[in-house]
Parts: sequence; C-alpha cells; structure tokens
Amino acid sequence: MESLLSGQLLFAALVLGGLYALIALGLNLVYGTMRLLNIAHGDLLMIGGYGAFWCFTLTGMSPLLGLPVIAAITAGLGIALYYLLFRGQLSSGKPIPQIEANSLLLFFGVSVVTQNVIALAFSATPRAYRYLDDVYHFGQVAMTGNRIAALAIALTCLVAIILVLNRTMFGMSIKALIQNRDAARIVGINVERVQLTSIALGFGVAGIAGGLVSMAEQISPFMGFPFTIASFVVIIMGGLGNVFGGIIAGFLLAFIEIYAVALTSANMRSILLYGIFVAVLILRPQGLLGKARQS
Amino acid sequence: MLKKIAQGLALAAALSLPTAAQAAETLKIGYSIAKTGLFSQAAPSQVNAYDLWAEQVNAAGGLDVAGVKHPIELVWYDDESDPVKSAQIYERLISDDKVDLLLAPWGTPHHLNIAGVMEQHGFPLVGNTAGSVAIREVEPGNIWFPTAVLPDRIGPALVDMLAANGVKSVSIIANVLPFSQENLQFLVPALEAANIEIKMNESYPPDIKDMTPLLTQMKSANADAVIALTYPSDAFLYTGQAKELGITTPYQFLLIGPTIAAYKDAFGPVADGIITLGHWSPKQTDWPRAQPFFDAYVAKYNSAPDYLDSALAYMSCEILQQAVAKAGLDHDKLREVISNDTFDTINGPVKFKGVENIITPSAFLQLQKGDMELVWPKSIATADLIKR
Repeated sequence: MESLLSGQLLFAALVLGGLYALIALGLNLVYGTMRLLNIAHGDLLMIGGYGAFWCFTLTGMSPLLGLPVIAAITAGLGIALYYLLFRGQLSSGKPIPQIEANSLLLFFGVSVVTQNVIALAFSATPRAYRYLDDVYHFGQVAMTGNRIAALAIALTCLVAIILVLNRTMFGMSIKALIQNRDAARIVGINVERVQLTSIALGFGVAGIAGGLVSMAEQISPFMGFPFTIASFVVIIMGGLGNVFGGIIAGFLLAFIEIYAVALTSANMRSILLYGIFVAVLILRPQGLLGKARQS
Repeated sequence: MLKKIAQGLALAAALSLPTAAQAAETLKIGYSIAKTGLFSQAAPSQVNAYDLWAEQVNAAGGLDVAGVKHPIELVWYDDESDPVKSAQIYERLISDDKVDLLLAPWGTPHHLNIAGVMEQHGFPLVGNTAGSVAIREVEPGNIWFPTAVLPDRIGPALVDMLAANGVKSVSIIANVLPFSQENLQFLVPALEAANIEIKMNESYPPDIKDMTPLLTQMKSANADAVIALTYPSDAFLYTGQAKELGITTPYQFLLIGPTIAAYKDAFGPVADGIITLGHWSPKQTDWPRAQPFFDAYVAKYNSAPDYLDSALAYMSCEILQQAVAKAGLDHDKLREVISNDTFDTINGPVKFKGVENIITPSAFLQLQKGDMELVWPKSIATADLIKR
C-alpha cells in the first residue's frame, strides 16, 4: 500500500498516460473532423518507430531531432491518402454511417498494405536501438532518460495542440467542424482545408508518438495493432471526436493500468481496463465527456 | 585445319553436353511460414537459416541425394500465422506442388497441426521451433523434434542451475501465453522439491505496457533470483524497467527475448548477465560446425542469428541433408535413417528416440560481455555462470 504513494508509480502513469493521450489525439482529430475510422492508426506509429530507428542508426542523429521529419512523413502519407481515398467519399454527400463504414474498410486495406510493405522493405525482424537510456534519480524516483523525454514531448504536443484548438481561428474552425460539419460550412469555414490539415496533424502526431515509443520498445512491422486498440478504447471512452475527452481518458486509463495493477494483480490488468471501458459505455454511451447525439 | 575442326567439335561437344549438376533435376523443398500475422516477428530468424542453408548447398554443387548432387529450390507460402492454414499449405506442397522434401513451419501449434498431414502422406519432416511437451503426443515416425526446449526438462534444469549457485529464493513473473505457462507448470514443483522459496509468483497479460507495479513488488520481495517467463516484447519491457527501478538481483532469467539480435542492440552492456533459454552457442568448440554457421549468417545478414530459432532451423536442415545423402528421397528409407542414425549438427550430435532428440540437453545461455555463453549444464558449458 505504501508503494501506492510512491512517485515511481505516478511517473509510470504519467508517461503511459501521455503516450496514450498523444496516440489517441491523432485518431480523434481524424475521426472528429471527417468521421473516418482509422484502424491503420497503429501502423502510423510503426512508421514513426522505423523513422526514428533509421534516423538514429543510419545518420546517428538524435531521434528527437528527427521527430519533425518523421511527423512530416506520416503527415504526407495522410495527405496522400486524403486525396487518393477519402476526398471523394467526403464530398459525395453520403451519410455519416456509410462514410464510417467505408473508411473502416479502406483503412483496413491501408493497414495490411503498410505492414507488408514495411516487412518487405525492412523484414519482419524486430529492431531496437539505445538512446537516452541512462537512469536519473529525483529523490526516491528513478527515471530513464528516454521516458522523461517521451513524457516531456507528449505533454508539449498535447498542450500545443490544445492551445491551437482553443486560441487560434484555425483551431476553432477544426472544433467547429467536429461539432457540426454543415454549420461549419455555412459560416464560411473552408471545410476541405480544415480536413486536410486535420488528417496531416493527426497522422503527424501518430508518427511522433511512434518515434517516442521506439526509444523504449522493440519495433516491427506488426507492432501497431495493440496501439490501434488502445487508441480506440481511449477515444471511445473520452467521447468520439472529443479531443479534450480523449486526453483525459488517455491519462485515466494509464492511471487505472498502473494503480489497479499495484492494488490487485498484473493478471487483472486487462479485466480492469476493459471492464471499466465497458462500464463507461453502459453508463455513458457517448463517452465521459461526449455529448449524446440527437437522432 | 583438322586440328581446328577437332577443337571446334570438342568445344561444341563441351557446350552441348550438360555438366552433372545441370543434368540433375532441381529439387523442390517446401515449407509454410508466418510471413504475416502474430508470429511474423519470429519467422525471419528461421527463414534466414533456411535461405543460408540452401545457398550453401547450391554453392557446394547441390544437395547430395544418395551420391548424386541436385540443385535445390525453396518453395514457401505465407500461413499468416494460422496453424490451420499451415496444414493446408503442407497438403498443397505435397499434393499439388509435389515437392521433394519439406522443412518445418514456425512454432509449436503449427508443428502439431501439420503432424497429421505428414502422417497421412507418410512424408518425413524434421521439425525445429516447437517447444511443448505436447510434441510427445505426436505419433512417431514422420516428424522429429531436435529441440531441447521442452518445459518439463527446462524447469528442473533451471532449478538445478540455481540451486548449484546457492539460490534460496526466487521471484517469478510469467506471461499468460502458453509457452510461459507451460514452463511455469513444471517450474513451480521443481522449485518446491528443491526447497527454493517462491517469494512472488505473478502472471501478466501479453499486451502489458508498463511493468512498474509488478517490478516494484519484485524489488520489495528481494529474492536471490528473478525468473521472468517472458515473450520477446515483454522481455524488452522487463529489461528496460528493471534497469530503471534498479533491480540488481544477481541471477535474472528471461525465457524468450534475449537471443534476438535486437535485444542486444537495445540494451548493450545493461543486458550483461541476463540468463536465457538456449542450447546452442558458436563458442562451443566441441561443435566445429557452430562457428562457421555463425560467421556465414553474420556475413549474409549483417546480424547475429537467433541462438534458438535460427540454430534449430539450421540443425533441422543439416539432419535432413545428412539423411538424404544416405537414404535418397525414398520416404521409407529416409524415415528409417532419421529414426536411427546420429547426426552431426552445429549443436553437436543429435539422435532421436520416438519424436524427441535424446542427446542435446536443456541448457541456458548467459550474455557475458556481449557474447552468448552456454553456462548450463556443465557438460556443454562455454563459461561459468556469473552474477550480474
């Protein structure tokens, strides 16, 4: 019980929460603005992980300095997919459920192709590298350098995106599009530009998250799926399309994961996580901070 | 003039006459592999060993089939990590592709699933990357397992090693996936029989993302040894977070993970002293084929082979190669030779009784200054077990 008050668990929960929130943020932006269900989201993390790996092993450059390049690559992929696959869907006037269903199938294809292209290009052999792996002590709390960096960068990205969403005209137009697509168009928002920026931002953030994950975990072409699942759990729990709700849910899940395991047993992790997820869905189907949809 | 005509005719004859190797029919050797899906991370180390072996055989003039050398060609299909698909692929390889020989798929479930196909067609196959007591339930005669990674042998051997080094207590964490749990099932009774106290015994799910609570508890338990029955991804998680939390237990055993080349890349000197499962090392000079295999693998792939899967895959090829050299391609003769002969492999001699290799002992490796040393049992050890 004493360990529950330790800073060590708090640090672990914050690092995990920061990553969950960042990963889910990208997914939420894409879903919120376009109603696209990106089940290839975890594969973007994988691409980010490979980007950081090659950046470090080929050039010796810090993967942290490579993050903008990685974000640009995954954002570019998002823009390409937008024009190739989704622009027509979104402007076709199809009802939202159909856009959601179509996007699910299209992104499934994107996921399979991405995984196999990376496997063919780099083989499925797991890869890893050592970066910022020194341990620093702050009082009783031990922190590995790459986990401190992951927390700091995740929080910086989260705060920056929240500020952009709340303090800039462009951010508000994203929020407006999330809230009501037709109304946003009526008030003069350039919907296409906002959609394009949102997919670039969402994909770019996923690439950054992948770069951060790769500093502490092995990477492989098929590593993405658990992250896709985790990010869907987070955004559904926080309220689909609710960016702030997703961030709260990301941290909440991480705190449950760390503290509930500490209180019970590691064997209970999945039961507790998914049990609470199901409970939230039963009690608040719209998510913790989501608003109930009117039929 | 006549001399020139004679030279021309001789040249023409030389060009038109096929060499022995050209004349010999190319043999097709088939297998299914998890190129995609859940197990695809593990498959490259096995496929690399197959490709290396095929390249070496062809470079040496072909596969010796009872005295005649044939070039070989590997034919494979992706089983998408699905054991059912694997069985269908072997059926196709035998019935449609009419392959001459077979190599094994990756993983225990796949091996168990194809055993019926081998039996139905009476097609002999030397397995490799299967590790479960369930292999003994397979009808002997068409499939053999050179592995020494069998949980009912690993548990007692691990306990023997720990007891011999004065360990009185252990903390155990185990992935809930089958191989870890099967090992746990045999490990706990062996620990109890040796009067080694189990201070902690916790299982965790495979998608665990942070082990801090688990390792905090482990640190408090302060046992003499840690036994982490890991799969590769959680072996990485354990090592990174154990370092962060300052777990300095002198003996730390990780089940699967440390033999992968990426593990050493990820942790470097931090991984020094980590003990893991494996019965092969290029450093064992009693096995003269071991170091050449290691060198050839590194030269071809620019990374070290997996000490478990690559070694087992290559061993299975060597056994098949030696059996074919003696028996040819006749299935009955092959079956008899594989069942009765002793084979010289990169892992030393291998002989089967039923489906099981009865010579190679269950053994353990330890990372020492970046090298994988065999540390147990003493009979094949290349170095003494050291404390971290």
